[in-house]
Amino acid sequence: MFLFIIKRLVLLVPVFFVVSLVVFLIIHLVPGNPIDNLMRAGSSSAQRVQIAAKYGLDRSLAEQYFVWMSRLMTGDLGTSIIQGRPVGALIARNLPYSLQLGGAALLFSALTGITAGVLAASFHGTRLDDGISGLILLGSTVPSFWLGLLLILVFAVWLGWVPISGARGWTSLILPVIATGVGGIALVARVTRIAMIETARQDFVMLLHAKGLSPLVIQLRHVLRHALVPVVTILALRIGWILGGTVTIEYVFARPGLGSLLIRGLNQRDYPLVQACLLMLAMAVILGTLIGDIVQAAMDPRQREERP
Amino acid sequence: MNRREFLASTSVVTLGLGLVLTSGLPARAADSEAVIVLSSSEAGAPNQDPIRATLLSLASNLIYDRLVEQDDDQSYHPHLAESWETGADGMSWTFKLRQGVTFHDSEPFNAAAVAWWIGKYKGSPNEYMTAAIDRVEIVDDYTVRFVMKRPEPNLIFNLAQQFMGIPSPKSYEASGDSYGVTEAIGTGPYKLESFVVGQETVLVANEDYAWGTDLSENRAAPHIKRLTLREIPDSSTAFLELKTGGVGMLSSVPDEFLPQLQKEKQVGFRNLPGIGVTYLNFNSQSGAFADATMRQATALAIDQSAVLKSVYSGAGREAHQFLISSLAESKVDPQFEIHHDLDKAKKLLDQTGWINGSDGVRTKDNKRLRIKLWTRSETEFRRTAEIVQAQLKVLGMETEIVTFDNTTLRDQLRKGEHELVVSHYDWNNADILDWFYSAKNIPFPNSAMWNDAKSEELHDIAMLQSKNWDERVANFKKYQEYLLSQYAFAPLHEPAQNTAYNKDLLEVPERIRGPQFGQPTIVDMKTVQ
Repeated sequence: MFLFIIKRLVLLVPVFFVVSLVVFLIIHLVPGNPIDNLMRAGSSSAQRVQIAAKYGLDRSLAEQYFVWMSRLMTGDLGTSIIQGRPVGALIARNLPYSLQLGGAALLFSALTGITAGVLAASFHGTRLDDGISGLILLGSTVPSFWLGLLLILVFAVWLGWVPISGARGWTSLILPVIATGVGGIALVARVTRIAMIETARQDFVMLLHAKGLSPLVIQLRHVLRHALVPVVTILALRIGWILGGTVTIEYVFARPGLGSLLIRGLNQRDYPLVQACLLMLAMAVILGTLIGDIVQAAMDPRQREERP
Repeated sequence: MNRREFLASTSVVTLGLGLVLTSGLPARAADSEAVIVLSSSEAGAPNQDPIRATLLSLASNLIYDRLVEQDDDQSYHPHLAESWETGADGMSWTFKLRQGVTFHDSEPFNAAAVAWWIGKYKGSPNEYMTAAIDRVEIVDDYTVRFVMKRPEPNLIFNLAQQFMGIPSPKSYEASGDSYGVTEAIGTGPYKLESFVVGQETVLVANEDYAWGTDLSENRAAPHIKRLTLREIPDSSTAFLELKTGGVGMLSSVPDEFLPQLQKEKQVGFRNLPGIGVTYLNFNSQSGAFADATMRQATALAIDQSAVLKSVYSGAGREAHQFLISSLAESKVDPQFEIHHDLDKAKKLLDQTGWINGSDGVRTKDNKRLRIKLWTRSETEFRRTAEIVQAQLKVLGMETEIVTFDNTTLRDQLRKGEHELVVSHYDWNNADILDWFYSAKNIPFPNSAMWNDAKSEELHDIAMLQSKNWDERVANFKKYQEYLLSQYAFAPLHEPAQNTAYNKDLLEVPERIRGPQFGQPTIVDMKTVQ
């Protein structure tokens, strides 16, 4: 198991370099530059040159990439050109909000999704199954920002149960978590349902029935346990999405977070900030996949034996 | 470690990490006495340091005082400077400072503080504001003299800007680079309690405050004791917060939201004159608009009243020259103002040889009169472009609208491939003409590529040779009149600034003083008992 983890970690190194190059090129190749956002009526062209030199924007792209990478290796993410503060500090300030929202949304979609999937699979072919599948289809197609506004209107404006926006206290987290998590519920529920139906058809389940175990115990202790392997993979893949996928929700609910930070940086072409945010999101997806692999390997010995 | 132990231990670590990370987050109840939503243009202000910042929010307007304050009619009023006088040759400015003023850290405000403060601008992004000052002489404890490198009547405007708030020398030096983020000490009516970039700034009243300006009724400590300034990027969310009383005021309301807000009984409004102008920017160096007659015909074909009515629901005013109407320099000779005259526009195009074709589009030498009309992506600019497109169609000009986000648009303008652009600026000083039309600023910000000898001469006189304010006003008028005579631009609209508040929560003075909503109005505001 230990060797398996080490191997997977070593494979991450080349991936990291390729991702960093893509991230760097993406932001430098789009039109626009950060200096225009710093200039006001009255600023002189000498100031423009001064700012460009200060942030190394007058150098070639290759040089800029090299400088960025060498600083990155020492843990320095650079300084935001527009905000004038270390990018590391800005991310550290916003990351907890994203983790809080993303983590809660993941938990919400996992628990609700698995419950819905188990119910649909247990009552396979009945009206309950059709009803849950219908709701799941609806949930996966509704855009989250629209759902967010709808939830605000119903629960915050009409009923007044929760605050409309902001990030003060746990009550302000309820609506954003639901709006973010609904898409995930659909995915998790569908995978759980199909995996459970397939597992239920296997021979060992028939044996369990023959041994006289109650259907409830068979479904929850045996079928669900086997069916959870693909579900865990799906959930791990969503770890990266947790951090970056809540941009529209952060916007609608006026919440701080990595998504808001990235969007603001993009609008102002704040290169160091955008590079760091994109790299973080990309690494979160890669690490999510790694965690998924490790958890899967821990749950299913065949995985770690079959893989190189 | 077996499988069961591995899963259990990773779950515990993940849960623990989550709890540690989230325990540091603020979880305070909404106990503030008034909440104001900042305008989108102030969103993301990274610090409250007037010297080093390039973007400041309303918070710094309340934490710091300035030597002088500007009113909505662009007149100047004493604040930390009780009076001032300029030498006859414009080479010195003497300020008598107000006595008994203290910073939030109890340090005294005096001539030494002013001398230190002016010196700090050297090498900062805002250096150009004080660039004309050679040195500061301390005459006595409460009198300073600025000795100038050259006459600069515009210094008074600079001194009234938000970037010229005066911080406490002691705290500024002690905090170093973190000044403005964790600490911001001024002499203003509010003290900084907490500040989270992109989220909110919490201010508490400075109970020692006794040096308000004549722009406010209340010269002492503000009535609202605790003020939270929030950033809400989505206008719909901000509107719902105002409606339900989650916030007391929106410091800026987009024009397209006005009709909806006006339906709400509990929402009150205050308008103040705009500080910006929307106009058509011509590329004067290449393409169709290198020809002055073509520019004139296009400018005359635009009916500004249609933009006012259709895009801005009647809010704001028509623009017939380049500057905001509250500036004295905007009062140009009426014969130079640009007004809608379609017949004249058509005749002008006939003269240039562009003849109306069978499909209504003019042609010349078998070439159709087809123009690319660029615009920013915000709703108001896209809709303005559509109106311009419809009006130019009547003239026989076919236009294709191309939309860019603001940052991309700036980059595209540098390439000089544009023809006609819906543009906008926010600036309450006539030197905006220098910014957009002086040859040294080609290709950007002078994206009109305007390069004209007579214009340069008038520019130099206005910018560098005006000895006092009246002379500067007269010189800038002449400069603008010349640009108008050359149809260097086609003015469209001067949007108003709208603020909305919840009448159940706040009492807001009838008239909002100052060029923008800020300190003079907020110190007079009260919460509804």
